Amino acid sequence: MVTISNQFRKISACRRYLSLFLFLLLAVGYSAKGQEATLTVISNTTGAPSEMKMSELKSVLKGEKQRWSDGTKVHIALMKTTTPVGQTTCQKIYNMSGDKVKRFWLELSFAGNADAPTFCSTTEELVTFVSQNPGAIGILDKPSTITGIKTTEIDGKSSF
Amino acid sequence: MRNNKSIIIQAAISVVFFCAPIILYGQTTQIRGFADVVTSVEDDEWTFGIGEQDLFITSQLNDRFSFLGETVFRYTPSSATQFSVSIERIIVKFNIKGNHNLLVGKHHTPVNYWNDTYHHGRVFFPTIYRPLLFDAHIIPIHTTGISLRGQNLGDVKFGYDLMLGNGIGTSEVFDDNTAKSLTAAVHIKPREGLRIGTSWYHDVIPEGTATTHDGTLKWKVNQNLLTGSVSYFGDKFELLAEGTLGFNKTDTTGVQQTVAWYAYAGIKIKEKFVPYLRIDQLHYQAGEIYYHKDNTTSFVGGVRYNINYLIAVKLEYQHQRFEEERDMNRLTAQLAVGF
Repeated sequence: MVTISNQFRKISACRRYLSLFLFLLLAVGYSAKGQEATLTVISNTTGAPSEMKMSELKSVLKGEKQRWSDGTKVHIALMKTTTPVGQTTCQKIYNMSGDKVKRFWLELSFAGNADAPTFCSTTEELVTFVSQNPGAIGILDKPSTITGIKTTEIDGKSSF
Repeated sequence: MRNNKSIIIQAAISVVFFCAPIILYGQTTQIRGFADVVTSVEDDEWTFGIGEQDLFITSQLNDRFSFLGETVFRYTPSSATQFSVSIERIIVKFNIKGNHNLLVGKHHTPVNYWNDTYHHGRVFFPTIYRPLLFDAHIIPIHTTGISLRGQNLGDVKFGYDLMLGNGIGTSEVFDDNTAKSLTAAVHIKPREGLRIGTSWYHDVIPEGTATTHDGTLKWKVNQNLLTGSVSYFGDKFELLAEGTLGFNKTDTTGVQQTVAWYAYAGIKIKEKFVPYLRIDQLHYQAGEIYYHKDNTTSFVGGVRYNINYLIAVKLEYQHQRFEEERDMNRLTAQLAVGF
């Protein structure tokens, strides 16, 4: 009888540890999901549309579109690939490492096929560039309320 | 009446070229450079050498106009300083509408992928040396003239080039040949990393023009080149294959056909490390008078390590079999940088 009781105790202890382990696993997973950075597309009030599909955004940010539908020249502004926002942009938009994104742009501009983006060190610098250049589009981690800038929704969402 | 018409046409062209851009931006100029150093062992001789130093300049002149220049400094034994300066590209681009552009200047002729993509940036080359069809001058590397270029059009990312320029045997500033060269090229990029293209080049090479080997042409040559290329540069594999079919015709010797092709394959191991292979072949028909008729096959095997996007190290072995000369074996290591 004592042996059976001990076995029950061991089993219930195992269950407790297993539950605790699963709980921690879920908590870590949830926490990681919660920390996953989101991106927002900001653009000058002239040029870029107010809404785009993700495939269109990727095409624009890969230098495949020289002019917006109103004829304004496309200017791309990105955070430097060493910044957290820049790294997230490389992953979510280009599906490449920061180094490969820089090589991608160097090859494109070397072939004369596209103008390299303006890489910014600070979000303020990027916001200023986008607000002052008609046709400019940039990627940030949050919307901006500065005059001359609008948020371009991607697939109907203000961030992704 | 004809004079008035001409003046009106010239005025209209001037308006389109110089007055259309309404919004003026501050000039943005970027200067980049590329260089490489090599060491090689060939026929038991061990050599160190410097490659080309390439200066690359781009400048956005205004909303529609931009400039691209590429100047190379290279070792030239015949020069008093043993170095020469060569203007490889000078292109003034005018954006007509959307992704359609008008380009004037000295271009790399858009006949194949390699010539239109890597230019003189050795750090971008998948192998140390260019394919044999460059060294054998099968394709015209440069053309000075005017071209229309469209890119990334539609779902398959269609692109085109239509070029009119000075032909083979002319200088950058003067062409005494009334016939101009014509290039027409199209390509599609149906999926990420994949590009499929084809082109046609036509020129009439005048009598007296230097051939690709010693000597000059005794008769004018009517040249047509057909080129096809497939390239895929993905996360795991790199594939690049290009072939050119050349037809050189003279009234005396008829048509001689030349086939030149290469195929490159690389496998990416841990993103930065790429072992690769390349096979090249040049095959000429008997009676060829413009190209140097020396049927050649080459095998290349090597590894490339990209330290970062501006630094690449390559180690490569090349075996070449010639029809006229003895075989060549060469082991080369290269450090190529961008700055």
